[in-house]
Amino acid sequence: MCCNLAGIERTGLKYFLEELLVTAKQSPQEQAARAADTAGLGTGPIPAGPYYRADYFELEREAVFRRTWLQIGHISELPAPGSFIVRPVEIADASILITHGRDGQVRAFHNVCTHRGTQLVAEAGGTRSRFSCPYHMWTFSDDGALRSAPDFERFYVDKSQCSLRKVAVEVCAGLVFINLDPEPEQGLRDFLGPIAQQLEQLPVASATTFSEYTYEIDANWKLTYDNFQENYHLRFIHPRSGEAAVGPQNPFGYPAKFGFQGPHRTQTIWSNPDAAPKPFQGFAFGKAFEAAMADGCNMTLAKDYYAIFPNFFMLGSPLNPFSHCVMPIAPGRSRGVIRLYWIGEDERASQRFAREYQMATARDIHAEDRAVIEAGQRGLQSGALSHIHLQEQEVLCRHLYHSVNDQVEAYKARLQSAGGTL
Amino acid sequence: MTGQYALPEGFRELEQFVPTWVVSRSCDRATRRLDSSEEERVAFFNAARDLAAPALELLDKKPLSQLDEREQRLMDLMLSLVHVALAVEIQGDDEPRHARGARHVIITRASSDGPAS
Ligand code: FES
Ligand SMILES: [Fe+2]
Repeated sequence: MCCNLAGIERTGLKYFLEELLVTAKQSPQEQAARAADTAGLGTGPIPAGPYYRADYFELEREAVFRRTWLQIGHISELPAPGSFIVRPVEIADASILITHGRDGQVRAFHNVCTHRGTQLVAEAGGTRSRFSCPYHMWTFSDDGALRSAPDFERFYVDKSQCSLRKVAVEVCAGLVFINLDPEPEQGLRDFLGPIAQQLEQLPVASATTFSEYTYEIDANWKLTYDNFQENYHLRFIHPRSGEAAVGPQNPFGYPAKFGFQGPHRTQTIWSNPDAAPKPFQGFAFGKAFEAAMADGCNMTLAKDYYAIFPNFFMLGSPLNPFSHCVMPIAPGRSRGVIRLYWIGEDERASQRFAREYQMATARDIHAEDRAVIEAGQRGLQSGALSHIHLQEQEVLCRHLYHSVNDQVEAYKARLQSAGGTL
Repeated sequence: MTGQYALPEGFRELEQFVPTWVVSRSCDRATRRLDSSEEERVAFFNAARDLAAPALELLDKKPLSQLDEREQRLMDLMLSLVHVALAVEIQGDDEPRHARGARHVIITRASSDGPAS
């Protein structure tokens, strides 16, 4: 679930009432049609294989992860010339080095020495503008050029041919994306479409730091991701922590709105306007609210959820400004990275207290989902089911399946017409 | 006379919680919560919840970097209270079930740990 700090933000009610009005004006047939086929994605069952099969995972590697923009970091991790980070992309068997050059430019490279392929940098990050390979000491500068190599006269190649292999990198709203396609089909902004502008209004765009928690899970990346884009499970898995996200008017806490933009999707979170926070929770939320107001955050997008294809989503709320990235590791294994974005370091006690409470609240909810996602994976992996069923309110899961599968099918077609290799 | 106390004046009721709940890193605070008994959590929460407002009011008077040792302990205590409050006030008797999943969700960075190095 996308946990939200209900009882403080009231805009959800307005959206929900609008939605009720729209529904009320429709004839029963219209309502049935809407229920039966949200967003033209069909109503049929979805094949189960893509959620556990190794051959499908291989296809996703080529069709999606090696040619799509992938969120990999935040610009605050590269604060000054000389800072660098190294991030694994397991599904592509890749390790990516991202540098902030002395010339101010952010660049990304395969973390692979061009001599004999040794992984160049072992640390996850730091400050350095020269990178020396541990094997034979080839040394690269932060723009990827080979600066020096011992006894290089004995080689049969020019240094200019030995630069680190570049990876496309672009930044939007402070979020750093890479694309492993040597020639990406489209730039990041074209890929994000109108969502780019919306992201730029969120706290993440001006954040200078973040809190982070991570988990590894025995589950397919889509199954894991899907858990966080449906609220059907909320009452059962988050009976305590999710109380404010349901109410008599909306017993399952379904979102007030969905939207689809190409492979991306959005929703507007609903929360119960009458839910009263528990006393200490109310105290902590009050502190968070004060801090968000002091940062001058935009509350109009506070209920918005942005799912960026394939594996990243972000909540718009300044009270709960988190992103969640689900990295595939193996067909049945993934890593989740959740970050809460902050503008400025903690300055005063109340702010520090509020940020800790916000992080711990989100973490509590994410921790509750884990067991049931893994149980889902175990069930699917048995092969007992050929298909799974999705209801109207699980349409975002349906949309992710189709967005991935469309690309897999297109890749297979290209492969076939190219005679087997791409 | 204040030499014998670990916390600033006005928080004597919390002295007994200093050995267990003054924990300086966020990840360790979350683990402390998971390793604690319900009695420990309830006792701390009941004693501390009404003192959170005066504690923060006192601590807010200076930038965090200028807190003295006693104030820093009080700050750490308030940050442990965050985790304990979620266990006691929100999870209640669901905390043991909740804790099983929470062990796998690791805090790798927190603003309360200070600027990332
Ligand atoms: S493999 Fe890197 S210097 Fe030889
Ligand atoms: Fe959930």
